[in-house]
Amino acid sequence: MLEARMSEAGTLKKVLDAVRDLISDANWECNEDGISLQAMDNSHVALVTVHLSQDAFEPYRCDRNMPLGINLGSLTKVIKCAKDNDLVTLKADDSGESLGLTFESSNTDRIGEYSIKLLDIDQEHLGIPTTQYDSVISMPSAEFQRICRDLSQLGESIRVEASKEGIRFSVEGDVGKASVLLKQSSGRGIEREEESEEEEEEEEEEDDDEDVKPNVDDEDNDDVKPKDKKRKSAKGGNKKKKAKKAKKEVVEDGVSISLQQQVSLTFSLKYLNNFTRSTPLSSRVTLSLSKDIPLLLEYEFGAGHIKYFLAPKIGDEDAE
Amino acid sequence: MLSNKRVIESPSSSEAEQSSAKENTVKRVKKNSPVKAEKDEKVKEKKIHPMFLPKQQISQDKEDKRLVREEVAATASSKSNASSKTNNFNDTITFAQLADTFTNIESTSKRLEIADHLTQFYKHVILTKPAELLMTVYLSLNRLCPDYEGLELGIGEGLLIKAIVESTGRTTAKVKEDFKKAGDLGTVAQLARKNQPTMFKAKGLNVPSVFKNLKEIATASGNQSQTKKIGIIMKMLTNCDSSTNEAKFLIRLLEGKLRIGLAERTVVVSLAHAIVLSRDEKATKEDLEKGVEVVKQVYSELPSYDMIVPALLDGGINDLQERCHLTPGIPLKPMLAKPTKAVSEVLDRFEGKSFTCEYKYDGERAQIHYHDGKVKVFSRNSEDMSNKYPDLVEQLPRAIKPGVKNFVIDSEAVAFDKQTKNILPFQELTRRKRKDVKVEDITVKVHIFAFDLLYFNDKPLLHEDLTYRRKLLSENFVQVEDEFAMAKSMEAQSTEEIGVFLEESVRDSCEGLMVKLNLGESAWYTPSKRSMNWLKLKKDYLAGAGDSLDLVVIGGYHGKGKRTNVYGAYLLACYDEDSESYQSICKIGTGFSEEMLEQHYKLLNPLEITVPKSYYKLGTAKPDVFFEPQAVWEVLTADLSLSPVYTAASGEISERGISLRFPRFIRVRDDKGAEDATTSDQVADMYRNQASAQQKATKADIDDDAY
Repeated sequence: MLEARMSEAGTLKKVLDAVRDLISDANWECNEDGISLQAMDNSHVALVTVHLSQDAFEPYRCDRNMPLGINLGSLTKVIKCAKDNDLVTLKADDSGESLGLTFESSNTDRIGEYSIKLLDIDQEHLGIPTTQYDSVISMPSAEFQRICRDLSQLGESIRVEASKEGIRFSVEGDVGKASVLLKQSSGRGIEREEESEEEEEEEEEEDDDEDVKPNVDDEDNDDVKPKDKKRKSAKGGNKKKKAKKAKKEVVEDGVSISLQQQVSLTFSLKYLNNFTRSTPLSSRVTLSLSKDIPLLLEYEFGAGHIKYFLAPKIGDEDAE
Repeated sequence: MLSNKRVIESPSSSEAEQSSAKENTVKRVKKNSPVKAEKDEKVKEKKIHPMFLPKQQISQDKEDKRLVREEVAATASSKSNASSKTNNFNDTITFAQLADTFTNIESTSKRLEIADHLTQFYKHVILTKPAELLMTVYLSLNRLCPDYEGLELGIGEGLLIKAIVESTGRTTAKVKEDFKKAGDLGTVAQLARKNQPTMFKAKGLNVPSVFKNLKEIATASGNQSQTKKIGIIMKMLTNCDSSTNEAKFLIRLLEGKLRIGLAERTVVVSLAHAIVLSRDEKATKEDLEKGVEVVKQVYSELPSYDMIVPALLDGGINDLQERCHLTPGIPLKPMLAKPTKAVSEVLDRFEGKSFTCEYKYDGERAQIHYHDGKVKVFSRNSEDMSNKYPDLVEQLPRAIKPGVKNFVIDSEAVAFDKQTKNILPFQELTRRKRKDVKVEDITVKVHIFAFDLLYFNDKPLLHEDLTYRRKLLSENFVQVEDEFAMAKSMEAQSTEEIGVFLEESVRDSCEGLMVKLNLGESAWYTPSKRSMNWLKLKKDYLAGAGDSLDLVVIGGYHGKGKRTNVYGAYLLACYDEDSESYQSICKIGTGFSEEMLEQHYKLLNPLEITVPKSYYKLGTAKPDVFFEPQAVWEVLTADLSLSPVYTAASGEISERGISLRFPRFIRVRDDKGAEDATTSDQVADMYRNQASAQQKATKADIDDDAY
């Protein structure tokens, strides 16, 4: 039997928005730690895991581990019936037949009760090992979203290169090519360096952006500075600690790169764009890259986290 | 080749398992190295990403046991096909193995080599997994069932592109662009799959599951069927192992365009060889040839692998003929006639022999099967036409005399006007609806003119004289006015008599005459053969205009002047069965009225493609646009000549191809599919005939173009 109550329905909405385009049906595994989901997308190219920690619920009660097989489309429809600041209570009994959702409005006496039939989904659990990545980049999620969106105008694959210089995103297409370089933040927030060799309109667009961007960055700069320094000094030390630290620094605008080795990988932008639907959940995103293994894209938020894995593309050049 | 891979990979995963505990190493199956030297492989194996392990861990135990068993199996029958033995065959025949065979076949144009590759593969299937031979045969033919069941995949390019896009994360525009460049969706899919691997190594497909899925797609119907189809396709695509050619051939199979230059007769030959060899490794050349003869002959009588393959597996070649023979309900390919150009030519051939002349009605060939009180009608392509001719099904029993249990009749279905008692042109018949025809809606009546009896009361008659067959036919069936009659015939001996009868037939709205031998082995019914023992004498040919050919429209030239906005001329091609290609034969621009040009434009414009298909052999012809091979036209030519431009039958007569002189459009043959067009063998025959006629020499006998 599961009973879990969350103070804001909005979080749940955002989580669903972040995964429902990637997967249609999935098992939500409930156990004493919380509720989590793991599934590959239809094409088996990407994998997503969602974890909602039991801390995010008050109260949280789960007597025994149980999978809730749910069609995410249906769940989205139901969740849409709640207002963002409604209290949500999830309930499922041991029969495993349905999931009950109760939406309580905080300022009125409205109580909505919904229930969704559960599905029997045959899904093998795929163990995801912890990996030490060649480079880990933490950056503002909005910036990442923007890069993916912008560059997908030009081509279907994005090349991500992490080096001492910074992290470079580049794309090549019929119209032209483009690349965006984000330097490791030191004094300033983000240093965006854009090169673009496309034709007319695109070029202008990019130029406009450049004019605006630095101003925005400067505002936050002062707050960021000390933290950035700290992080740098911690660089040589234990990696894991460092990573955790970075996540705890909540609102910041900088780019931090921890580099063991230079990496250059190519990914399908279609999937990345899909992943950036998690942007509303968290202001930061972490990219972990290693040669020849799937990219890990991580969004941490108060109630838990979403991790996306994406298999890199290979041999684009010699194939064509 | 692919076989080694699995074997090497399995231990590799365990190796990585150990190493992953200490250090997190990384793996990606390198696309370039499945077959590299072992040392090389080892280095790469270290790079197995632990992420890939969970699945493998589970199957690890199984895998190990499997390997042991395989080794045993491999040593037990070490003779054959050592390379593929090591693969895991206790499960099923993998689709990768089939794809490998396809790749080998595609890479050569030599028929013997092709047959050899296929024979090896079939033999391997027979020895390891005989139950999957039938599916393997169907997949190599790109079919799902016998022709007459008419089950087709019906998947459009759009749907396939969508599936490729969704399973590899590419953009539709890019995929379409690549498709334009490559001209083959299979290659596009293969590259896309290679470039975008899946998170976990795909398991690969196997023959039974692919076959099952294809059938499921073909039978899917209803409003959700598109979604269902795309779901199945995507699932298969995701499971394609990117280090093999699975994706490429999967997509081609789905498209219904395997196009690897594998003709059905090669499949039959390979099947026969494989069966013989699997029973006797040391079979002699004679044994093999005999096997091929038997299988060919049986297949011509009973064109259903559903029946032949199990019988072959069970009893081999020897008792195949007893197990499988002509069966009512299963259409066989009709016997065809050689065209002749003059009455004297008929006498040249048949002089001193007994022969029959009968009307060649201008209709549609109809093979009528009757058993257990049910009537079925099949077209010359073995399509079931019972739904197209419900009136025929209804009226036929009236012609059957009591005591008849079952039969197969060969006949011509003709459009008939009840009022005037006249035969109508063939076109009247094609104008009838093809599906869901109700008896009461029919305006054009069908009249059957029967001319042969192939099976009667549980007895196949193929190996009986024509005289006997005709006797049985006339004894057991009655004329029904306006519905059923025997084809009008006469026994003639002289040129004059034949001439008179021919003129009479033309007056009676017939195409001409059929002349058939009466007695002896040459009077047997030989299915699917264009036999010298049946000659057709068409009025068109007699007009001195030359030969008529059924050609496929593969290209178009933009019109000028009066013909702006329509195609001004077309590029035609004949079909080469051996290489499954279309060979250009002539450009045609005469014989069209303005109205016709308009019509053709409407019909052909949607078929337009910018790049010629890989299986178009164009020569140096350069049409402005190309078409999907679909439209078949009957074309009359004065003469055939060797040409430096066109490729038809090139290699048969000389390096140069054959072209038509003064081609003239006669009519659209919408009863024929592109692959039923005149073949390059026939074109070569025509050329030889013409050449020998010119030399006034006696004609050399030309081999029948049978299976």
